[in-house]
Amino acid sequence: MKKLVITSLLIAGSLLAESSSSFEGRKGVAPATDSLYLKECGSCHFAYQPGLLPSRSWVKVMENLSDHFGTDASVEGADSSKILKYLKDNSTEKFKNYKKTKSIYDSIATTETPIAVTKTRYFVQKHREIGCELIKQKEVKSLSNCMACHTKADKGSYSEREINIPNYGRWEDE
Amino acid sequence: MVKAVVALLMVVSFMQAYELNAQMKDFMNSLLTEAKKQNPNLKEFDYARGEKIFTAEQIGKKGNKISCVTCHTADLSKKGLNENTNKVIEPLSPSANSKRFSDVKEVKKWLRRNFKDVYNREGSAQEQGDVVTYIINKK
Ligand code: HEC
Ligand code: HEC
Ligand code: HEC
Repeated sequence: MKKLVITSLLIAGSLLAESSSSFEGRKGVAPATDSLYLKECGSCHFAYQPGLLPSRSWVKVMENLSDHFGTDASVEGADSSKILKYLKDNSTEKFKNYKKTKSIYDSIATTETPIAVTKTRYFVQKHREIGCELIKQKEVKSLSNCMACHTKADKGSYSEREINIPNYGRWEDE
Repeated sequence: MVKAVVALLMVVSFMQAYELNAQMKDFMNSLLTEAKKQNPNLKEFDYARGEKIFTAEQIGKKGNKISCVTCHTADLSKKGLNENTNKVIEPLSPSANSKRFSDVKEVKKWLRRNFKDVYNREGSAQEQGDVVTYIINKK
C-alpha cells in the first residue's frame, strides 16, 4: 500500500513537473553567451547555439576541427576543452524547456550523431519549402547561414515573424 | 624649403615599416631565427616573396582554386568575405584595423589554419615571416 502511494505520488509529481515545464517553456533556443565560444566559433560563421545539437554531436564536431567542413578550424589546448565543456553543458539534452531545442532533440534518433543542425530532421522539415534560388542567392549562399534570414538568430530567436529572406521578405505560411 | 621638408617627411614615413608591438616583434624575431637555421643565406624577410605567397593561386584543402586573396581581397584595407561561409571579414591591414597583428596567439592560429586551407600544409618560418611582412607593409 505504502509503495503504491509513493509510486502514485511520484507519477503525479512527474506529471506536474512535465506540465509546469512546458507551461514555462521558452520559445526558441537559449542564446550563446560564453565569450570564448562566441570568439572562437563565431569567427567564420554565426555562433550556432549549443542547444541546437546533442552532446555527442558536439564531441564529434570538436574532435574533427582540423578538417571541419573542408576547412581548418583547429583550436589548441585548453581552449578546446573549455569550448567542449560549454557545448556539452548547454546541449539539446540540457535545454529541453526551450521549445525549439526540444523539437530538434525529439527529431534526432539516439543512434544518429549529426554534425550539422541543417541535417537534423526537424530542420530539414521546417526548411523544405524554401525555393532553391532563395538559398543559392549571394546574400544567403547556404542554409547554414541562419542570420541571413532569421534576423534575431543571434538572440536564440527563430520565430516566423522575425524571418526576412533577402530579395523576398517576410515568410507567410499558407 | 618648407615644401621640400614636408615632401621629405612624407617620403620617409612612406618608406618606414609598420611598427609592431613588443610581443609581435618577439614573434617575428623568433621566426627569423628559425628561418635562418633552415636557410643560412637568409638575411631578412622579404615583401615581394610575401606578396607572391599571398596572391598565388593554389589547389587548396577542398580541391578548389584558392589563395589568400580569395577571402581577404587584394586590397587589404577593405573588408573581405569568407568564401566558405559568406561571412564578412574585417580588413587584414593593421593600418585599417588596429586589432590586427597585435595578438601573437591570434596571428599564429590563423596562419596555421589559413596555410592549411590554401597550401595544404603549415607555412615554414620563412614563409610566415615573409607573408606577415607583406601584409603589414602593403600600402
Ligand atoms: C575556419 C573557419 C571556421 C571556424 C573557426 C569554425 N567553423 Fe564551423 N563551419 C565552417 C564552415 C566552412 C562550415 C560549413 C558551412 C556551410 O556549409 O555553409 C561550418 C559549419 C559548422 C556547423 C554546421 C552548420 C550547419 O550547417 O548546420 C557547426 C555545428 C559548426 N560549424 C560548429 C563550429 C564550432 C563549434 C566551432 C568552434 C570550435 C566552429 N564551427 C568554428 C568554418 C568554421
Ligand atoms: C533562406 C532563409 C533561411 C535560412 C538561411 C535559415 N532559415 Fe530557418 N526558417 C526559414 C523559414 C522561411 C522558416 C519558416 C518555415 C515555416 O514555418 O514554414 C524557418 C523556420 C525555422 C525554425 C522553426 C521556426 C518555427 O517557429 O517554426 C527554426 C528553429 C529555424 N528556422 C532555425 C534555423 C537555423 C538554426 C538556421 C541556420 C542553421 C536557419 N534556420 C537558416 C528560413 C531560413
Ligand atoms: C577561407 C577564407 C580565408 C582564406 C583563404 C585565408 N584567410 Fe586569413 N583569415 C580568415 C578569417 C575568417 C580570419 C579571422 C577573421 C577575423 O578575425 O575577423 C582570418 C585571419 C587571418 C589573420 C589574422 C590577423 C590578425 O591579427 O587578426 C592572418 C594573419 C591571416 N588571416 C592571413 C592569411 C594568409 C597568409 C592567407 C593565405 C595563406 C589567408 N589568411 C587565407 C579567412 C581566410
